[in-house]
Amino acid sequence: MSPTTTAPRFVRADGPDKVTGSGRYTADLTLTGALVAKFKYAEVSHARITKLDVSAARAIPGVFAVLTQDDVPDVRFGPFVQDRTLFARDVVRFEGEILAAVAAVDVPTAQRALNAIVVEYAPLPVVNDIEAALSPDAPLVHADWSDYGAAGPIVRDRNDASMASIAKGDVDKGMAEADVVVHSRYVADGCHAAPIEPRAVLAQWEGNKVTIWTSTQVPFDARAGVCETLELPANRVRIIVPHLGGGFGGKCGFHYEAHVAALARATKRPVRLVFSRREEFVAPDRRREGIVFDLETGVRRDGTITARKVWLAIDNGAYTADAGFFSQLAAMHALGPYQVPHAFAEAHLVYTNHQPSGSVRAPTAPQTCWALESHTDEVAKAIGMDPVEFRLKNAVATGKEGPSGQVYDEIGLVDCIRAAADGAGYGQALPDDEAIGVAIGWWPSFSVPSGAYVKIDGDGSGQIITGAQECGTGAVMTLRQLVADELGMQAEDFELVYQDTSVAPYDMGATGSQTLFNNGRAAVAAAGQIAEQLKQLAAEQLEANPADIVLADGAASVAGTPSRSVPIAELAGIAAGGELLIGHGSGAPPAPPEVVGATCVGDVGMTAWVAPQFSCHAVRVKVDRDTGVARVLHVSAAHDSGTIINPVGATGQVEGAVLMGIGQALTEGTRYDDEAKQRNAALLEYKLQTCADAPPIDIHFVEIDTPNAGPRGAKGLAEAPNVATAAAISNAIAAIIGTPVRQLPMTAERVWSTVNGIEGSPA
Amino acid sequence: MSFVIATTIDEAIAALAAGARPVAGGSDLVVGARHGKAPLPGDLVAIDRIEELRCLEFTDAGACIGAGVNHHTIEHHPVLSTVYTGISDGSALVGSPSTRNVGTLGGNVMNASPAMDTGAPLVVLGAEVELRSASGSRRVGLAELWTGPGRTSARPDELCVAIHVPAPAARSNSAYLRLEYRRSMEIAVVGAAASVTLADDGSVNAVRVALTAVAPTIIEVAGLGGGTVADVAAAAQAAAAEQARPISDVRASDAYRRHTVGVMARRAVEAAARRALGEPVSVPVNRAIGIGAAS
Repeated sequence: MSPTTTAPRFVRADGPDKVTGSGRYTADLTLTGALVAKFKYAEVSHARITKLDVSAARAIPGVFAVLTQDDVPDVRFGPFVQDRTLFARDVVRFEGEILAAVAAVDVPTAQRALNAIVVEYAPLPVVNDIEAALSPDAPLVHADWSDYGAAGPIVRDRNDASMASIAKGDVDKGMAEADVVVHSRYVADGCHAAPIEPRAVLAQWEGNKVTIWTSTQVPFDARAGVCETLELPANRVRIIVPHLGGGFGGKCGFHYEAHVAALARATKRPVRLVFSRREEFVAPDRRREGIVFDLETGVRRDGTITARKVWLAIDNGAYTADAGFFSQLAAMHALGPYQVPHAFAEAHLVYTNHQPSGSVRAPTAPQTCWALESHTDEVAKAIGMDPVEFRLKNAVATGKEGPSGQVYDEIGLVDCIRAAADGAGYGQALPDDEAIGVAIGWWPSFSVPSGAYVKIDGDGSGQIITGAQECGTGAVMTLRQLVADELGMQAEDFELVYQDTSVAPYDMGATGSQTLFNNGRAAVAAAGQIAEQLKQLAAEQLEANPADIVLADGAASVAGTPSRSVPIAELAGIAAGGELLIGHGSGAPPAPPEVVGATCVGDVGMTAWVAPQFSCHAVRVKVDRDTGVARVLHVSAAHDSGTIINPVGATGQVEGAVLMGIGQALTEGTRYDDEAKQRNAALLEYKLQTCADAPPIDIHFVEIDTPNAGPRGAKGLAEAPNVATAAAISNAIAAIIGTPVRQLPMTAERVWSTVNGIEGSPA
Repeated sequence: MSFVIATTIDEAIAALAAGARPVAGGSDLVVGARHGKAPLPGDLVAIDRIEELRCLEFTDAGACIGAGVNHHTIEHHPVLSTVYTGISDGSALVGSPSTRNVGTLGGNVMNASPAMDTGAPLVVLGAEVELRSASGSRRVGLAELWTGPGRTSARPDELCVAIHVPAPAARSNSAYLRLEYRRSMEIAVVGAAASVTLADDGSVNAVRVALTAVAPTIIEVAGLGGGTVADVAAAAQAAAAEQARPISDVRASDAYRRHTVGVMARRAVEAAARRALGEPVSVPVNRAIGIGAAS
């Protein structure tokens, strides 16, 4: 492991709770008199509501409330495009859209109420295809799109909810300079975050204040959504997250907190919502977006890339959710971490009548990396160059300029390529049904505000009170280690108080791989204030200069004279009788780097990445040609995520992301029927990988000094390991069967169809 | 609404006669009810505590496997996993370790799913189920038992108490394997079982092949004869692909199913023949030869 490791062991503060079953998740909570919430869904993909009558449902004994859009403030919301209301208004645009919400005494009564709601529709044409939706005569998903509010930089046109382009140099000239131009088309199906805990919300009003327990990854974002849609000030809405049973991005954003709070207000009772697995698949505005790619690269015979031109269209689904920045982000991933002198990318975020897309672990990146890196192997093959050599020659490196004009300071991509290839035994002789595929990926760190408090009580025990959200990654758990190191104490000396918006300062939440990057900075800053207080107190006790006091091993001592020492617990006791040990921290987020030489349309700040993370995955795959079944035999994953502060947590992140990547590569994909409804919204037919499928995973952290990064030079790591796995698997499959599989997931039937040259789009 | 816990077969039969439905592991009944397949019956009789249903007897005539024997036991049983090997192959693939600990052979057979993993090996081994009611016992062949997906010819008052499997001939063995997209919590996309009896020269004297998830019930392949193992395996592949009546659904297209069930049939014949020769092919075949990869 890395030489910068500070913790020989890592005990998760939430570990014993989760392992023994004593921990409480939202669905475990009960409140006296709580009612059951159920939603009435559209069940059709596109229709005008001609009748919605809830009077019979309201009349059922045991039904306390039935709410529709008529019963809540008429607010359109959305972080990028304000295209959504809490309940359907006039038109339904996907099968999981909510028409009404019921609060009843028990589940059967709530179900009877749903059945008693009368809804009639006039069908509207269903938009089921991303590319067709962009044609000028396509039916509009939002007829009133031009009346919607939207964030400043967002460029929209009809079904195109966010258009972005990146242009550098002269791409036609670059193509003309090439010896070979390779053109490829790839199609990625949508897929799901599929957290094991289906979401749950419990709301209770006390006077004009509401407390909402909810399974969200982003408590402050959830609070903001409630405040906006129910027109409440932030200080009257308290969001508490009990243990969260996974999220993977699917529980980012604002979901059903306002619906349940509105039911609780209407009924004057606590109300609890618990999703079924089917609801978890169909209703949330968070699933990984399908994308259509058109990629073209010009290359010289010596392997130099002269130009790259990409076009892509992303399935936005029926509403924009947080996907407004996806076009530019996908454009960056489609150009890739390569030195490309002449580049042009055009990306569209396209309304369809599918479930809305939203941030799922590295949104747009795994599928775009899959397309670009499969294409890159085609390019290398076209000039007869080894794909690893081709990447070593063209990858971005320290001091080199990337496709958007950002010049990179210290980065470790080239080291990652070498480490991953070596770890996989790249170049070894293999049976003719096995091959090693290699792919590189990148991902930004997100530099945002964040806050934390630290306090040490009179007995010397500490608490970290943080706005950060733990979604299972261990990032919040690692705060104990950071704070303890700062104060010369042990991680176990600190308890965490977290996931409560009325107790802790703001944090963006478990999203954007940002927790350690930003909240780590905040916690270190808060601890630093206490360190100063302790040094002052110790200096007084030891009759020394505060600048000479060292905090280590639970004591404050004079530098160079360890015998002159006082326990921190004793200092805490002194402080408890005077000025208390309380620290608060936020710290200045690292500034974004400059970009020169590129022009952008629809610029949402995604072309210049602070502390960019890099990765290379080398994956050995075996293909059964008779059935098309591909099995991953071994994964070698190399990552530049800066300094690794918590090796145990970091290893877990990479292992989990690789497994998720294998699923996205081979088995996980949403299938739509002709009416744009999901055909496999269940865990038997939507196939996650299981422990029995997991291959050995070797992990190599390339740790280099990273300027302008998180605490101790750390970058993010939650999403980056999910980027390159599917791409590497694709390149291994292509090496075995001679041609890439052009649709993701690369299911057994698609592999078999590719082997046999069968056209069409099989399962 | 009633729930009776029976401790003897007679108690269970009495409850069935009064209109109750049996539940053992609940791995089909309860899951199906939760998914809206069929509501949970109003009256249930639990049969999981009936010791008689867990009997396992081996005689010269063959094996008697109690309907309540679970998949974990079948997977690991020293006789079943070497002599009636195809059944163990099937049981070893069911669900997850916890499913295999609660799911029973009787439940699997009477659930009558065309995708059940133990069905095809039972067919190629010539198994019969023993159905018992207040009016007595009868034995029914599987082809007669299964009448459609989830449907059997058993009367509501009949309880499946055991599965009888004839003793395999000398120099014979069996194998079952399936096409799967993952290794746990999976359902057969298609599957095939083979039972092979070899002559002294190593050629195939007799072969039976049955197919999973390519028709409304498990079906047996007709018209197979003897020959070299390679020829019989090739003939089984062709006949399986031809006789299959697969559907297209979210798991696979009919064309892909038709092709892969042939591949499974060929591999099942090959694996059964290797076992009949005394070669060790461990249970389950899916892991031993690997569908897509060596284990």
